Amino acid sequence: MTLKRHAYVWSHAIYAVNKRNAKFQLDMAALLRGLKAGRALRSLGSVAVQAAANPQSSNIRRGFHRAALLRVHDESKNPASSSSSTPHHEHYQAHSLPADEGTSTSTHEASAGGAATGQEDPQVNTSYQDQGGEQNEDYETEEQLAERILTAALDFVPQHGWTIEAIAAGAETLGLSSASTGMFINGAGDLVLHFVGHCNTQLTEILADQHKHVQLGQAEQKKTAEFLRDAVETRLRMYIPYMDTWPQAMSILILPHNIPHSLKHLSTLMDDIWYYAGDRSTDMNWYTKRAALTGIYNTTELVMLQDSSPDFQDTWTFLDNRIQDVVNMAGTAKQVAATGEAVAQGLMGAAVTLKNMTGLNQRR
Amino acid sequence: MAIPVRCVARRIFRDCTRKVSVLSTQQATKPIYPSNSIVCRFYSNDSEGKSTHFGFETVPEGEKAERVYKVFESVAEKYDVMNDAMSMGVHRLWKDMLLHIMNPLPGARLLDAAGGTGDISIRFLEYTRTQRERQQRRSVRSQQTLSWQDISQNYTPSDDQGPAESTAVSTAVVCDINKEMLKVGKDKAEKLGYSSGLSWVVGDAEELPFADDQFDVYTIAFGIRNVTHIEQALDEALRVLKPGGRFMCLEFSKVSNPLLSRLYDAYSFQLIPVMGEVIAGDWKSYQYLVESIRKFPDQETFKGMIEDAGFFQVQYFNLTGGVVAIHSGFKL
Repeated sequence: MTLKRHAYVWSHAIYAVNKRNAKFQLDMAALLRGLKAGRALRSLGSVAVQAAANPQSSNIRRGFHRAALLRVHDESKNPASSSSSTPHHEHYQAHSLPADEGTSTSTHEASAGGAATGQEDPQVNTSYQDQGGEQNEDYETEEQLAERILTAALDFVPQHGWTIEAIAAGAETLGLSSASTGMFINGAGDLVLHFVGHCNTQLTEILADQHKHVQLGQAEQKKTAEFLRDAVETRLRMYIPYMDTWPQAMSILILPHNIPHSLKHLSTLMDDIWYYAGDRSTDMNWYTKRAALTGIYNTTELVMLQDSSPDFQDTWTFLDNRIQDVVNMAGTAKQVAATGEAVAQGLMGAAVTLKNMTGLNQRR
Repeated sequence: MAIPVRCVARRIFRDCTRKVSVLSTQQATKPIYPSNSIVCRFYSNDSEGKSTHFGFETVPEGEKAERVYKVFESVAEKYDVMNDAMSMGVHRLWKDMLLHIMNPLPGARLLDAAGGTGDISIRFLEYTRTQRERQQRRSVRSQQTLSWQDISQNYTPSDDQGPAESTAVSTAVVCDINKEMLKVGKDKAEKLGYSSGLSWVVGDAEELPFADDQFDVYTIAFGIRNVTHIEQALDEALRVLKPGGRFMCLEFSKVSNPLLSRLYDAYSFQLIPVMGEVIAGDWKSYQYLVESIRKFPDQETFKGMIEDAGFFQVQYFNLTGGVVAIHSGFKL
């Protein structure tokens, strides 16, 4: 009995001492550190949950879109009515969904696409038999068919460039007439944006995979600079097969009606890279980091356009140098801040000394 | 969605033929089961002949096709002149817009249903020819800075002809129920120099004389409101189109703006028949024209009908404030 009471008193005493200590240490720095730790833990937990749940839908936004498509498909049972509400709505859907649906159809049609459409299947095609390629269009929506056409069209880009002819050739490989290119109101823009979205989702998958390996302890966490370098290089390497026609694609991306969509793709790409690099900042750093990386990425892409070295070695060297610049800049910025603080404190001290010397500080 | 509708329709038709003997004995006064009454009514209508609209008139269905034929027989000679006069030349812009939205690629096959004097087909051939020339120019330009490897490749004969559009020629088939309109169109085309690549076929839009999966694009410009059974015409369009093919319909439609609508009505009913009488000597035909425009379903209803026929990605574009609408759907 007494032992228990002793233990209780003792633990209570320890708790009280710790509390006092904690209070003593409770200045701004510790508070910030604690908050950062808490945020990191929370985000780490959410990353683990996401990584475990579905490696492809690392973005909740994508999950919502897929759920919306399922719901719409179940409700209407007629893909035409769900998406042919207004021309503007279609246009928006065709652009926003490709980035999200790209995974479900073009890259992992068997797994994720099967999961998405598989859930639709038992509810929709109770009466339709699998009679041929055309009637399969009842199972998938028009957006998914558009995805498939654009993915098939990518094979013809080296030959036709980023044009409607490439999309027509892609449609023909799927057995559709060239008139189906009329579905793509934005023409070549649709093709380029689809490709960019596709590359972004591919990169996100690779980064998520790497992250999973790090979580499982199979690989070492890379340093930020190295991680950024590898991510940007992986992403830019996806353009290599289309390097001859990439200037045409870039010019299409900066057409006024395509700028909102291309900017959206770019910003989500930068966000994803920094997220997997471990950035959880919530202050001005969030913007400065992404701005810096955007600058690096865009300039490296431009260098890559006119690079003729074997395996684009010059481009990767350029990339290294730019990342080094940013790292140095960050270090310099910290030093400048520290120096500034020290200088300010010194001035304050000098001022107080002067006041003491001249006797202004004394109260009379 | 078309398939269940057709199945239901077929079932109803089968039911009514089966129940003929039963119902013919009864008086159709107070049947107990509502389904029987519906079937009974269907059968009784069929025996009288369903009626439809011919302008603001109501005529039996069988008669409408004949009367439309007579209308267009009489206006065939002055058809193009009257079009220009009535629309003040704007109909050319409408048809150009149709081609622009269609954006056909070289090698596409067009079926111009109710094509009449062949306006759309001629524009189609012109469009694809310029596209083909542009492509050829582009390919020649790209070949001017070839590396020696590419040049050596060009000297070795390749088995596959590469892109189909380098060799494919676009063709257009003009189909109309009216021989007079086709005659006028043929003369016009010969005068303009479009003899190759154009065929002129007599046929009913509700029963096209073509096999399945033949055409890349099906257009019907200012013709579908004259068809007795629009759904049948849409079904036929779906049938003859290739998978991936496009259905396009250019037709007069409802003007949404009330002020414009009043002006348009005044113009249609006061001026157009007068113009018809003065220029073509035919008041009644142009009276039928403006009345049939009013009888045609509006944009959304027609879009629904196209979707019911089985087309996907149906959308419409209003031109001139809704006076004319272009509906487009895909056979996917």
